Amino acid sequence: MEAAFGSGDGDDEATAVVARSQASLGQVFEQKYRPWDGDLGPRWMRNYAIFRHHVYGVFTGKGHRQYHPMVRLLILIIFLASLTPIPMLFLSSFIGDQGGLFEKMWGINRYNLWGQVLGYFPRNLCMWPLLTAVIVGGMISDDRQHGTSAIYFSRPVSRLDYTAMKYLSVAIILGFVIVFSYFAYYTSAIVFKSEGWAYLADTLPIFFGGMLAGIILVITYTSIGLALSSISRSRFFAAIGFLSIIYGTKLVSLLVELQFETTFMYALSPYDCLAHLGQFLLGIPSNYEHPVSISAVSILAMNSLAVWLLVSRVTSLEVTRE
Amino acid sequence: MSDEELLGDTPIISTRGLRKMYGPHLALDDINLEIKKGAIGILGPNGAGKSTLFKCLLGLITTTSGEGTVLGHDIRTQGEMIRSRIGYMPEYNALDPNLFAIDQVRYSGELLGMNTKHATQRAHEVLEYVGLKDQRYRKIETFSTGMLQATKLACALIHDPDILICDEPTNGLDQRARSFMLQTLNRTVREGNRSVLMSSHVMDDVQDLCQSIVMIHKGRIVVQRSIEELVEQVDKEVEMVIWGGASKMEYELNSMGLELRRLGRVIRVKVTSEKTIDQILQAAVSAGVQVRQMKEYEPDLEDIFLLVMDKLGSQIKGTGDLMTPEHTGGV
Repeated sequence: MEAAFGSGDGDDEATAVVARSQASLGQVFEQKYRPWDGDLGPRWMRNYAIFRHHVYGVFTGKGHRQYHPMVRLLILIIFLASLTPIPMLFLSSFIGDQGGLFEKMWGINRYNLWGQVLGYFPRNLCMWPLLTAVIVGGMISDDRQHGTSAIYFSRPVSRLDYTAMKYLSVAIILGFVIVFSYFAYYTSAIVFKSEGWAYLADTLPIFFGGMLAGIILVITYTSIGLALSSISRSRFFAAIGFLSIIYGTKLVSLLVELQFETTFMYALSPYDCLAHLGQFLLGIPSNYEHPVSISAVSILAMNSLAVWLLVSRVTSLEVTRE
Repeated sequence: MSDEELLGDTPIISTRGLRKMYGPHLALDDINLEIKKGAIGILGPNGAGKSTLFKCLLGLITTTSGEGTVLGHDIRTQGEMIRSRIGYMPEYNALDPNLFAIDQVRYSGELLGMNTKHATQRAHEVLEYVGLKDQRYRKIETFSTGMLQATKLACALIHDPDILICDEPTNGLDQRARSFMLQTLNRTVREGNRSVLMSSHVMDDVQDLCQSIVMIHKGRIVVQRSIEELVEQVDKEVEMVIWGGASKMEYELNSMGLELRRLGRVIRVKVTSEKTIDQILQAAVSAGVQVRQMKEYEPDLEDIFLLVMDKLGSQIKGTGDLMTPEHTGGV
């Protein structure tokens, strides 16, 4: 500064800056063992970690289980599609369509509540099976393929906790789309139509019947899907296997019905058993000749078989090698 | 820290009469172990029962009979307690290829019950420790074999376990990565004062790291001793390099009744008495060959292993016979 703006020549305190004889090179990598004396949490924390890892992955692409972007997009599309009756209800109330076409098509009644969960087209043809297939696809088969089961079982995670948390994760995701959309549909009808207590008293039992049917559907699809995921090392096999079971049994039963005019074969179709039970729970006439108890027993048997398969395959997951 | 300090008196692992049967197949038979603190090598051919032993020690499978404790916990009833104090590094791939290394290690901590904050902080520390500081935010699918092994080690170390069980930690690693892995394990034992139980087919690795070994063969423990003690038990040999007729030299030595092993120009002769050296030189004169080099041969762990396996009648010519392409990285 003095040299630039002052009267001096800048050499009053002349010092030369020279390089140090030994330049400091710094430490690139120092390996040092650092102990940790924290406390490990209880069982629920471990279980919650498994649950969170699988569920949060649907919402965020970082830090948790990776779902393919197309899978996440598909889940979003199915979720939005399951909510489509809500704007129609809004439109119906907006234009004052009391007892009109909109009311019949999307208003709250036994048939529409049944259809929201158990209708074949589009929900059980295009939406719920596809949703289940993409969710369960790699849920356990990925652990088999990548050997990541060792990460779980070499830690204080029991096979029961592992299976239960995987099951719960799938059920929560499916439930969020299927049961939540059903709940949103019903409540939005109340809000849009400004319905009162009398309406609630009339429709709540039907609503709960439909919700129970939805929960049974979620449980059944989760059981079958996870069982298929547990027997394979490929997420593709599990997904295709699930779709084959749902569509295949339905198609075969339909062909048998057309040929022999009997609906008994529908007892082998998971979808039809659920639909039949749903009709009973919502109090609408059945499309099936056979008694509902057969469908109920069939659902129970399918779930038992699937859970048995799931448990036995998870038991066989290795720690030392896969 | 000296070996004596490392090897405390109290056994960290002890088993008595441990037996495991898979149907009619006997996987472990009468296993009596007393393992003290430090680094211990578990050796044995494929199918000897090493993995079954690990599973028993982790409390993952029920034993057919016998009893055992790990860090004072019963292996039959307190498997979860044991697994929360042990870090297990599996031999085979056990990582999600779609995750970042930091997320995989953090998740493995959360599976032990660590909260997310602690697990994340600790994941950063252990990844730095295993040399993956700069690769923390890379997807595991892009990792080399060495980096995969290091990530598995980080997963095992996240909760600072008392015992680290490593199943073939140097599998498929190149020389540099292998040295680093062994250095890391060594530091864990010496600086961290932790115990390492390592199974390996590479004898040099075990010799570099471990103070003692447990050798398993057909489900039974055949050797359980410190390496120093074992080396002393092996016969002393003289190794020489012969030029100008190793076969003639071999013939002469045999005719003098000396026990020898030959590999090309290199001949090793068992030292039976003080006169052995004189006999060797006499044989060289008779055979008309040059002895280019002669020295006392220092037996290594591989010699011990082969000797024991030979005594047991196992058809193993070298540790190479025990390896699959996976062990050698496909080489």
